[in-house]
Amino acid sequence: MPLPVAGDGLWQEGEARAFRRLTLAWMGTMMFLFSTMLLLGYFMRLFQANAFRTMRPEWFYAVLTLHGLGMVATWFVGGMAATGYLLTRYSRPSIWISRLALAGTLVGAGLLAAATLFGLFGTGWYFLYPLPFYSSGVWPPWATGCFFGALALLFSVWTIWVLDLLRAIASRFPLRQALGWHVLSGRPSLGVPSFVLVATVSLIAGAAGLAAGMVLLGLWAVEWLRSGYSNDALLMKNLTFFFGHIITNITMYLGVGVVYELLPGYAGRPWKLSKALAWAWNTVLLLVVLAYAHHLYMDFAQPRVLQDTGQIVSYFLSVPAAVVSIFGGLALVYAAPMRWTLASWLFFLGLMGWAIGGVGAVIDSTVALNSRFHNTLWVPAHFHTYYLMGVVLMLLGFAHHLAVDLTGEPERPAMRHAILALLAIGGYGFLLAFYWAGAHSVPRRFAAYPRELSQGVAAARVAVVFIALIVIAVALYLWETARRCWRAFSA
Amino acid sequence: MTTARPMLGSVVALAMACLLAAACPASAQDSLGQPANTPPDETSFIFRRVPDITITPIEGSPVTLSALGRSSPLVITFIYTRCGGVCSPFLESLAAAARQTGGLGSAYRILVLSFDSRDTLADLRAAARAHGLAADQGWIFGAASSPDIARLARATGFWFAWHWSSGQYDHPSLLIAVDQGRIVRMLAGATIPPSRFREITDELRGKFVPSYPAQNRRVAFRCFRYTPGGGIQIGWGFLVLLAPGALAISSALWIFARSRGSAS
Repeated sequence: MPLPVAGDGLWQEGEARAFRRLTLAWMGTMMFLFSTMLLLGYFMRLFQANAFRTMRPEWFYAVLTLHGLGMVATWFVGGMAATGYLLTRYSRPSIWISRLALAGTLVGAGLLAAATLFGLFGTGWYFLYPLPFYSSGVWPPWATGCFFGALALLFSVWTIWVLDLLRAIASRFPLRQALGWHVLSGRPSLGVPSFVLVATVSLIAGAAGLAAGMVLLGLWAVEWLRSGYSNDALLMKNLTFFFGHIITNITMYLGVGVVYELLPGYAGRPWKLSKALAWAWNTVLLLVVLAYAHHLYMDFAQPRVLQDTGQIVSYFLSVPAAVVSIFGGLALVYAAPMRWTLASWLFFLGLMGWAIGGVGAVIDSTVALNSRFHNTLWVPAHFHTYYLMGVVLMLLGFAHHLAVDLTGEPERPAMRHAILALLAIGGYGFLLAFYWAGAHSVPRRFAAYPRELSQGVAAARVAVVFIALIVIAVALYLWETARRCWRAFSA
Repeated sequence: MTTARPMLGSVVALAMACLLAAACPASAQDSLGQPANTPPDETSFIFRRVPDITITPIEGSPVTLSALGRSSPLVITFIYTRCGGVCSPFLESLAAAARQTGGLGSAYRILVLSFDSRDTLADLRAAARAHGLAADQGWIFGAASSPDIARLARATGFWFAWHWSSGQYDHPSLLIAVDQGRIVRMLAGATIPPSRFREITDELRGKFVPSYPAQNRRVAFRCFRYTPGGGIQIGWGFLVLLAPGALAISSALWIFARSRGSAS
């Protein structure tokens, strides 16, 4: 049944319809941004395959910046919108704050596009200190201002949105229930869905990540406006990855939360809030703010104890949540009266992709291995695994679930098979090219590879074939889903 | 005729200039490079190859810089023996820092070169004795030809300028760490803090040196400070790192505490 359910004491009919339309607008935004960023990613791999020999490399770095930030922003807001929609079953997230977030996201995305595509701002998503101030004439000062303005706007509206969803959870569940502490102390689940636990953990962590982002922007602004003052490069890098790592992590967690809530509907069984689940996600809450330290293994000024902490925490962060989710997902599906649709397949494949990418991440977070893999294509390999084949599938699954739920139009099995086959073959083929190149020490962030790194060109040429399959799959998906979303929106 | 008198005057002036030049301790030709108030920018010279000049040490026969550096890495510095300013206290400071950090003679050697073409080996030997360094195997005092000194100075950013008024050279005090023929570290300053000298010797021993001090900048909120002994002090920046987590937890606690009434 489409949410929010009108007449359940929480929602009036008009409000419920408005919230549905707003969620459809979010999904439309998500699909549009995803398609655009996907094509930009395609452009980058074509660039590395030497398809644009006469083009300036500055274009590659500008597109790299937009693609990285754009994808993270797209799936973060997609996960937030899906979480907000599913929360309407239990409480009342503010429709106005969600609208504010949508407007802020659209303006912020426009500013980012202007800074990168018109200003050629090309620092990469991580805009490591002090690179934005040293453009070497590649980008003008207005592009730097535009970029930081976009981030300030995005962080502001997202922080308000995160706090509002937390408020919505708090209006229904006390903190100890929302975090599953009552289950840990041996009491029954009291009807607290596991989705609420994952959402609470993600939102608290998200608030920390966004706060780090705001502090970071404040320090950038002070240095920009006050000459003679400079920031500590190590602090700036710590804050950058504190914010960046948490936002990407909680995006995945938000996607997993959606799967916890919706996959049981297809399996005909509940995904209960168990003690193991509560332990795992409370561990995540405890450790997620520390795991970013594995991004600073090469920063020799960082004390050794923090490097060791980064490795240990990365293990304890990845393993429990992934194990309970994978095991729980398999147990849910095994011998269940499963209704396999495009949405349920995407949820299931997304969960598995998240686990596979997690293995790659754990390998990369091991200091001894990171010293070999650091800044090779292994890194984009693992994060594309748990993004493209993980949370992206989960949230595409959500959008399709919503579209079918609201229109009631049955899906076409042939189309479903084509989309899934193309996504799986294209996605994993594309990733294997990254993994293979990473294992051969091909560095990342190279617009064009010199002759000594010709393996990078070969891998990019293989990758573009598989990306073409992904593009076809996404086009078919949009035909199936975006059309339904538009119809539901217009109704 | 009218031209004879000025011509004669020119010849006399030229002759007097030559005499003066011969009598004076140095001429403007001995200056090299552009005097600057700031030390040479290390980043411009790091990993550059130094020229393989020939050095005549106070003990032994002439030897090339590459041959000297083959047995151990070198810390090269420039002085002149008639210096009434920084050279002598600089050598004392360097010797003290070398004693404190250890490894001189085994892990590296210090090559003290005169940039003053008037300095003889006897002058240099006297200077080494005056500082009690003549018998120390870790120290090599030596001279080189003016063109060789000029090549080495250009490759390392060293400069010197003759001051007629004081009869002294203006010059920086510079340490250049050279390993396998390449500059791996530089340090400028009249006194050598042992902590900074340890960075150089560690670099020459193949140890990874994890930090560089930021110069001429006011840095707020440093995460960590490294003490000369290798210890770490936590700075305010580390507390800034804790702020986001604290803010998020307190916000969550406040939101849930505020909503408790309606939830119940």
